[in-house]
Amino acid sequence: MVLIVGIIATITYGTVGLGIAMVDDEEDTISPSELDEDERFSDPRVEQVGENEYEAYVVAQTFIYQPDPIEVPEDSEVTFYVTSRDVIHSFSLVGTNVNTMVVPGEVSSVTAEFDEPAEYGVICNEYCGSGHHDMEGMLYVVPEDEFDLTELSVTADDEVELGDDATFDVTVENGQLDDLETAIELEVGDETIEEDVTVPGDDTYETTLTVDSTDLGEGDHDWTVTVDDHTESGTLSVVEDLEDDEDDEDGGDDDE
Amino acid sequence: MRISTEGLLIVLAFTVVLVVELRTVLAWFNLELTVFESLMFSVALIVAIVVWALFPQDGSRDTDASGSS
Amino acid sequence: MSDATVNDAAKTTESTTSEPLGETYLDKFPAEAKVVRSALYSSFLALALGGLFGVIQTLHRTDFLRIMESETYYTVLTAHGVFLVIAFTIFFLVGVFTWAVTTSLDREVEDIRFTWAWLGTMTAGAAMAAAAILAGFTDSLDMSADVLFTFYAPMQAHPLFYLGLTVFVVGTWMAGADWFRSWFAWKKENPGERIPLPTFMVLTTMIMWYVATLGVATAILAFLLPWSLGLIDSVNPTLTRTLFWFFGHPVVYFWLMPAYMMWYVLLPKLSGGKLFSDPLARVVFVLFLLLSTPVGIHHQYLDPGISEGFKFIAMTNTMFLLLPSLLTAFTVVASMEHGARQRGGTGRIGWLKALPWRDPVFAGMALAGLMFAAGGFSGMINAGMNINYLVHNTLWVPGHFHLTVGTAVALTFMAASYWFIPQLTGKKLWNRPVALVQVVLWFVGMTFMANAMHRAGLLGMPRRTAEPQYDGFEYEAGVGSVAELDAQIALGGIILTLSLVLFFAVIIGTVLGSRSDEVPANGYADTLSGPEDSPKILDNLKLWFGLAVVLVIIAYTFPLLSIIERGGLFGPDITAFPQSIDIVSMAWLTVEQYATDTFTSATEVAQATIDGVLR
Repeated sequence: MVLIVGIIATITYGTVGLGIAMVDDEEDTISPSELDEDERFSDPRVEQVGENEYEAYVVAQTFIYQPDPIEVPEDSEVTFYVTSRDVIHSFSLVGTNVNTMVVPGEVSSVTAEFDEPAEYGVICNEYCGSGHHDMEGMLYVVPEDEFDLTELSVTADDEVELGDDATFDVTVENGQLDDLETAIELEVGDETIEEDVTVPGDDTYETTLTVDSTDLGEGDHDWTVTVDDHTESGTLSVVEDLEDDEDDEDGGDDDE
Repeated sequence: MRISTEGLLIVLAFTVVLVVELRTVLAWFNLELTVFESLMFSVALIVAIVVWALFPQDGSRDTDASGSS
Repeated sequence: MSDATVNDAAKTTESTTSEPLGETYLDKFPAEAKVVRSALYSSFLALALGGLFGVIQTLHRTDFLRIMESETYYTVLTAHGVFLVIAFTIFFLVGVFTWAVTTSLDREVEDIRFTWAWLGTMTAGAAMAAAAILAGFTDSLDMSADVLFTFYAPMQAHPLFYLGLTVFVVGTWMAGADWFRSWFAWKKENPGERIPLPTFMVLTTMIMWYVATLGVATAILAFLLPWSLGLIDSVNPTLTRTLFWFFGHPVVYFWLMPAYMMWYVLLPKLSGGKLFSDPLARVVFVLFLLLSTPVGIHHQYLDPGISEGFKFIAMTNTMFLLLPSLLTAFTVVASMEHGARQRGGTGRIGWLKALPWRDPVFAGMALAGLMFAAGGFSGMINAGMNINYLVHNTLWVPGHFHLTVGTAVALTFMAASYWFIPQLTGKKLWNRPVALVQVVLWFVGMTFMANAMHRAGLLGMPRRTAEPQYDGFEYEAGVGSVAELDAQIALGGIILTLSLVLFFAVIIGTVLGSRSDEVPANGYADTLSGPEDSPKILDNLKLWFGLAVVLVIIAYTFPLLSIIERGGLFGPDITAFPQSIDIVSMAWLTVEQYATDTFTSATEVAQATIDGVLR
């Protein structure tokens, strides 16, 4: 009897005393068919919410995790918000006590601290269907200087008439809270344009780079926009006479 | 026979538990055995027990060991 | 009431058995013996199939032998789980309970036709569920139930699976009614007498079962069955999951209680002594009745949508469940020691040698009890809210329950079969040494398997997966390597299979043998401290039933209300996987269409006939 009370007391201390939060009912419910309209889960991602504090929005579905891999910096405290699009899954970092059921309609939140760079396997340990054993993801805890939450997107002309300016609308999004000092580099044909920028924390920087197509000459030119490790690329055609339809579509492909 | 065949069987069964758990327990004391080592050890232990059990004894003394059941 | 066998046992030397010969159960209750025998044979069939699926999946997941696609693994796993923990255990225990009630009340069942009726109902239910599961092996039937033993929505099985489970459970309810009926009749004839211990155990266990099955009955009848038939579109996964565990934890005690009963009423007798204390045994069963159900949420520590407070209550109740198990350990060991000393055992440890280890019934039960202690310890780990994060849904958990249900229960049942089958057939056990080797092999096989499963679980290796080998990472083994653990699990599985083969050899050998008058007499252990020492209140089943219900209401009302409040009764638009709805509703439409057509043509025929007659 005393023994049992002792065990309960120990566990209570071990849970409450050490500040281990249980997965519980703090989060609101969510309809699994409306994840695409949800602010958090329509775009599964990692977000910085404070100094060294991050939130990861993860969607589990048969038989993958989004995002995959998940990348977080070392020395961080990460809260995972996980929900399911279909059946019950789990979100479990192998060999750690980050382990939660993922129930459709509910959002599980788990907080973990990552002190050092490491690689963790993410697995589903609740049977979720015939491909259950293939459901895995990765979590990379990377050194701080290798980590960013920068997103680069480029909208560029597909075709320009010889003599006109080719425009590249570059958007750099800085998901981190600190300012991002970097450079945008555009290479097209033999031309290189560089622009040093400072993107404020949790903000977006937009710029338009222009290249005189005369310098490029007629023909197809591959282009690349680089910001740190992120690149966007596409092909620009410089033609003698532009056909009269105004093709102004996105020439970049989203590889971010 | 020092113990009955059945007794020997039961003792051997317990030896298996001992051997299986031993590796984990020893690892606590930073004594890591390889599979081969622990296999050798268990075989040695089992042989020792069997030899001990089969060792003829002067039947006059012992009353409780073999006579039980 | 039977007598204990103290003096006879002490005198017995190297003869075939330490028990006195005499009137067997078959002699005394021939009609009941037939029912019990049928129940046991059903359970053995389930054991054989379940065991076969067990070894297939062991070799598959450890990647030693893969004879099927990994998708099929889950059909095998469902069959392994359901056949063993539902069919094998429950068929066996209804047989044992019937034996216990009739023997201890010393009266036949009230109406043998009713007894056959419930056994028939259970069999029909089991066959339906089994058909739905096994249909998963073939693509030619649009039927499957690859939902595992826990059938968590939105996983959906064929309606036949849910229907089969329901029918099966209804059969067990009828069985309970049969035993209560016997008790009421007995009470009328024996006013003021204490309920004999075995009957007491049966009745308390059945009350627990009635309370517990309300959960699964609600889950199936109100939600899952109509959902699988396409009558409702969506279910609340957390709600059905919680209702499942409302039943899912007490069901483990439903398996365990008959094993406990064997340890209380047979083991002391076999070790040549008496049960240490009748009152203590009654207290234990009452505690299980009270505490088994309001703990189910401890299977859901990691569920979102259930508050920490509810989980804490479940944990507290769970920890108190340790009490009756610890009491059992004490009582049973004390009874065994008493028996051993009666047989001339001496010394602090020396008395162990005096136990009848050559008796497979005794040896099997004693080894099972020992493994249960180990299983109990890993269970305490599971029950801790915080450490559960590390082991939840890892291979640790199957490691745990292969010690509890897979050994404490299954091995006890197998050992008990060596006592029951001769009782029920009047035939001598075919081969005692083989039977002894069988129980020892089970113990050894489980040692290998459970040890490796626990260790693999600590590495984070998941349960319930066909291929615990991943592309992106490797497990870091603290001691040894994953390959060794896999090898150990496979080795254990093979030894267990071998043990099962021997078990069936002994059973079949016994059944095919001829009648013998060397079968020990039917009976059960006497007690050192009898019912006269136990407070009368212990026999007040109404009180305990009431208390159990109150505890369940306390533990479950708020969680259930909060789950319904959050997700609604039918959940937020949950789609079924796999969608058998379409198939079924289409089939339903076809039937309807067919019925309508038939009706129309029948009407036409009738109309024509009437017209003809009128003319």
